[in-house]
Amino acid sequence: MQARSATRAKRIDRIATWTITASGLVIVGSVVGILLLIVNVALPLLFPPDSVRVQRFSPAWLGDPGAVLAIGSDGYLETGYVLDTGGVFTFFDSRCGALLERVRLERPGVAGATVAGVEVSGRLDHSLRWSDGSLTVERVRFFPQFDPEGQRHIAHAVERLTVLPPAEGAVRGTARVTEAGGTAAVFLLPGNRLRVVQQIVEEDLFGELTRESASYEIEDELPGAAGPLLLDGSGRWLFAGTDAGYLLRWALTEEGPRLADRVRASHEGSAVTALAMLIGDGSVVVGLEDGSLSVWFPVPAEPGSFVRVLKSIHTLAPHPAAVRRIVASQADRILLTVGEEAELRMHYPTGERHLLTLSPEAPLLRAGLSLRANGVIGLDAEGRITVWAIDAPHPEFSWKAMFSRIWYEGFEQPGFVWQSSAATDDAEPKLSLIPLVFGTLKATFYALLFAAPVALFAAIYTSSLMDPRLRLIVKPTVEVMGAVPTVVIGFLAALWFAPLIEDKIIAIFLFLLLAPVVLIAFFVLWERVRGWPPLNRVKPGYEFLLVMPAVLLTVVLSVAIGGVLQDVIFGGDFRQWLFQSFGTQVDQRNSIVIAFALGFAVIPIIFTISEDALIRVPGHLRAASLALGATRWQTAWRVVLPSASPGVFAAVMIGFGRAVGETMIVLMATGNTPIIDGSIFNGMRTLSANIAVEIPEAPAGGTLFRVLFLTAVLLFSATFLVNTAAEVVRERMRKKFGRI
Amino acid sequence: MGRKPIQRGEQLVWLTGAALTVTLLATVTLIGVVMVNGLGYFWPSTLAVARLVDGGTAMGEITQRDYTDEGDLWRIQFKVGNRDLYGADFRWIDAAAIETLNYPEDAAALEREEYGNFYGFLERLDLATVQVDAGLPPWERLQAARDAVEERFEAIESLNESVSADSHEMERIRLAILELRYEGGAGAEDGIARLEEQLAPVRADFDARNAEAAARLAELRSNTATFADAAGRTKEMPILSLVRTYRPNAMSVPAKALFYLGKVWELLSANPRESNTEGGLFPAIFGTVMLVMLMSLFCIPLGVVAAVYLQEYAREGLLVRMVRIAVFNLAGVPSIVYGIFGLGFFVYGVGGTIDELFFPERLPNPTFGTGGILWASLTLALLTVPVVIVVTEEALAAIPGGIREASLSLGATRFQTLWRLLLPIAAPGIITGFVLSTARAAGEVAPLMITGVVKLAPALPLDGEFPFFHLDRKFMHLGFHIYDVGFQSPNVEAAKPMVFITTLLLLAIVIGLSIVAIVLRNSMQKRYAGKAF
Repeated sequence: MQARSATRAKRIDRIATWTITASGLVIVGSVVGILLLIVNVALPLLFPPDSVRVQRFSPAWLGDPGAVLAIGSDGYLETGYVLDTGGVFTFFDSRCGALLERVRLERPGVAGATVAGVEVSGRLDHSLRWSDGSLTVERVRFFPQFDPEGQRHIAHAVERLTVLPPAEGAVRGTARVTEAGGTAAVFLLPGNRLRVVQQIVEEDLFGELTRESASYEIEDELPGAAGPLLLDGSGRWLFAGTDAGYLLRWALTEEGPRLADRVRASHEGSAVTALAMLIGDGSVVVGLEDGSLSVWFPVPAEPGSFVRVLKSIHTLAPHPAAVRRIVASQADRILLTVGEEAELRMHYPTGERHLLTLSPEAPLLRAGLSLRANGVIGLDAEGRITVWAIDAPHPEFSWKAMFSRIWYEGFEQPGFVWQSSAATDDAEPKLSLIPLVFGTLKATFYALLFAAPVALFAAIYTSSLMDPRLRLIVKPTVEVMGAVPTVVIGFLAALWFAPLIEDKIIAIFLFLLLAPVVLIAFFVLWERVRGWPPLNRVKPGYEFLLVMPAVLLTVVLSVAIGGVLQDVIFGGDFRQWLFQSFGTQVDQRNSIVIAFALGFAVIPIIFTISEDALIRVPGHLRAASLALGATRWQTAWRVVLPSASPGVFAAVMIGFGRAVGETMIVLMATGNTPIIDGSIFNGMRTLSANIAVEIPEAPAGGTLFRVLFLTAVLLFSATFLVNTAAEVVRERMRKKFGRI
Repeated sequence: MGRKPIQRGEQLVWLTGAALTVTLLATVTLIGVVMVNGLGYFWPSTLAVARLVDGGTAMGEITQRDYTDEGDLWRIQFKVGNRDLYGADFRWIDAAAIETLNYPEDAAALEREEYGNFYGFLERLDLATVQVDAGLPPWERLQAARDAVEERFEAIESLNESVSADSHEMERIRLAILELRYEGGAGAEDGIARLEEQLAPVRADFDARNAEAAARLAELRSNTATFADAAGRTKEMPILSLVRTYRPNAMSVPAKALFYLGKVWELLSANPRESNTEGGLFPAIFGTVMLVMLMSLFCIPLGVVAAVYLQEYAREGLLVRMVRIAVFNLAGVPSIVYGIFGLGFFVYGVGGTIDELFFPERLPNPTFGTGGILWASLTLALLTVPVVIVVTEEALAAIPGGIREASLSLGATRFQTLWRLLLPIAAPGIITGFVLSTARAAGEVAPLMITGVVKLAPALPLDGEFPFFHLDRKFMHLGFHIYDVGFQSPNVEAAKPMVFITTLLLLAIVIGLSIVAIVLRNSMQKRYAGKAF
């Protein structure tokens, strides 16, 4: 019986040992696991985009591949189309190559005319140049439809938007239907002249539409033979490239064309071979004979100027040979460029990221981008149609986009900007982490500027100078302070403290000046009266009870004097004065508020840890110092503090880690504007608050979602490093004093 | 000691003392501000009627006095209420513009279901369906009418309960149909048809009862009271919409105290009204408590076992050092990182997998694959586990080694020593860890915001419906309530008192818990004073 119970006890003991050891490992595992998981979510950002050839077929219905002028696909890679010189759109199932429908376009002019050229703009608007010189714009549309069983299939349609009669003697031309419903067309006339034909549709105050037609020739002499011509979606801007490497831009105003820019796109004089507008029509992409690619948009001619001139902003990875065509996605800012020998490249201009290169085995005659930029479809000379699926879920991401200065479309100069979402689809996502990192460090800096000295001095006083009996009250009070939920601190900081100090900013600066004065005055007074009964019974170690009225008095004095100063010197309103004198805006939720609020949250941590370190310094060191005649201040400052300095350092580090990661206070009391400005009078947005603000809006798996996880990795690593360093220091110190 | 005080560095002692004073004063100020703003709100304040020089009137609670920007003129802020009549709750009036200020006895304050408070005078009662003694004075008649209306309303409420039972039954059948449809196979069609058959009578019953409840409610709402504001503008309101009616100027101090207690009770037990800016906090309190309890369920065992491992089982070495540093790091990782981990791992990872395995028929509507109280509490457990470990370890370390050696030398196994001796001795420490971790958890908001807290939860996570604990449900939380009402509500100024009260409550809970922990720890320290630590 006894033996059995002993074996049982041993068995239980073994099981317990395993379980307990396992759970110890679980803790290590979970720290590593947390890091791994958040890294794992952020990691796909770094994966290079991938392309897979999903289909290749040689359809029997396709006649002469050389007659095909354009090829394209819907956003699901289910329906493709080709347009041939006969003016026929052939729709086919791009999963198997089966013919779906042929749509024969009505000829606009002479019977028997063929299509001589096609240019695609916007969401599959095809500008067709017919052999008789007339232009038509045909829109191909795809719409997903769901049948009663919930199966999706893609319906398609071709719609003719406009017909333009031939311009006399035109060599070639292109037309565009504007967003307002008007048309704009440009013809190249013999002799290197351009003619613009416009139909402007305007809506007056009463919603009446007026149509006005205009036709004029551009008088400016072109620097070199005209190459590609491009109209923007509003029909108000005309771009042209020349074979001498010039890029020209005209404003098509009601008074006629005005040459706005005449810039060299190539310093070597390489011809401009392709032009395209990025989604949103804010930027123009220029491809050259020598294969180089650049993105241009208008910027102020000089800082502060209202005159805008085209400037080359981004340079993209060049093709080895001439750029033949540029296709801009209408779903995001992805670009497909087609080079000589049909080398295909995809780019993301904002971060100048080269996404991928497609190298088909046989040279492609025509290539097109699918509607959602998730696929590429191409036709080679042997009549084979190839479909590639493109997997580039996070084209916006690049280290350059996160950490470098970037000149964003519509901005006056390059900068670090965080603006993850906007009201329109065609906005450029701005994902610079610099403003957030800056905001985090700024908040932490000001908070520690306030908290670290206060907490350290308080810890020195509590551990070494105060009566030990008082310590039993003070320590728990500070611990209670540390237990105050940060949401409470944040709420009070934002809705009570910020409005309270809004017009008393001077008083805060005054407090810093007055505090030493009042303190010294009190001190001198005290030294004079301390000999008298009953005051002589107050022992050293109780000073801080006397300091309390001094601090309170300083507060009252600062507010009173601050009010007077404000009236006398600053004309009644310090904020206004500051704004008028220095142009500094004072926000209600500024760094002063943050310094106090975040400082309030950090003080208990720094205090507790450094106080622990100070009190751990062995008593015999103190005793020796005092016995040798050092005063209690000298003992505290020159003996105790240096001995405990590693622990004190660790305390500040841990306080730093806590301030960096604190969320609720900064979320509530900073205003959350991602600006880079070190001024103490305005707010910031921190990494942590940014996660809290943006993650509910970020679709799981999207770029923003993963970037937010990346910022979490940043936060984790920063605090991990700081904390590990602090803990190692603390452990050393424990050992050191363990030996004494 | 013959040197002058300045040479002795006494003034620097004062400086360090000042730092401590600032720290303590900041704490006291914070608690003081919350108490002053939070405690006073429920006390019925007197209603002032101001006649203005320009012939206008204003009536309401005086909330603030202030100097105007121009010169030394007083101005007074009135909470004039009557948002439906005036549009704004507050109004500043220059003291100079006020001709007379008086406090009429019959000035009435009404708390309403919507549009905030109404301040005015009772004009008349139109009682369509309830009878009250016509001989009573008007104010007492109103009270009697309210009682009568309340009584009838309770009857409607019980009707509503059966309506909601029906709706639960309908939901259950709907889910069962969904499941059958998903599984398909032989017999599924029959099953669905059978369930559809079951559904029909329940739906009919639901519709009938719902219609009846609506009709009776409409009938009840036809009993109205008409009040006039100070300027004589009248407003007719259904008696049912009046939550509380009182005449503060006529109330005695005990009556006011009673009123105060009534409000406190409402705060603790009732549901919020008016997008959380009025009414009670019960769902938020319940959510907080349940969250913390669930959290302890996960974090206490794990934390205690890990501490035991570190202190009693592990040999000092690289591994133990790593574990210590890991624990220390866990404590320092920003809470928002825990939140984002909870979102990525628990919600989308584990939750998404559970949905795929067990609730595929409900997809794409998530069941566990979205924020909920289970995921929030697991996230919090991870966040508080270091607290438990550190405190438990300290408690175990404080036990003198002789106790272990004595036990082992008598032939006990290590586990027996642990179970029968060390853990009981360290119990106060473990409890301290528990209390501290609950205090931390109760005050933490950031990770909850992304793992399942909501501003208004339709149902509690615990109720009479099978399986009683609904761990997938979203919940309300006091801390989030502060953030939400204080920063996201449309009328922040009017919502402020509510935020202060919530803050007071949260602060009381958290500080109360911390004090318990500190007292426990101090008593334990005394027990083994001078040994380890």
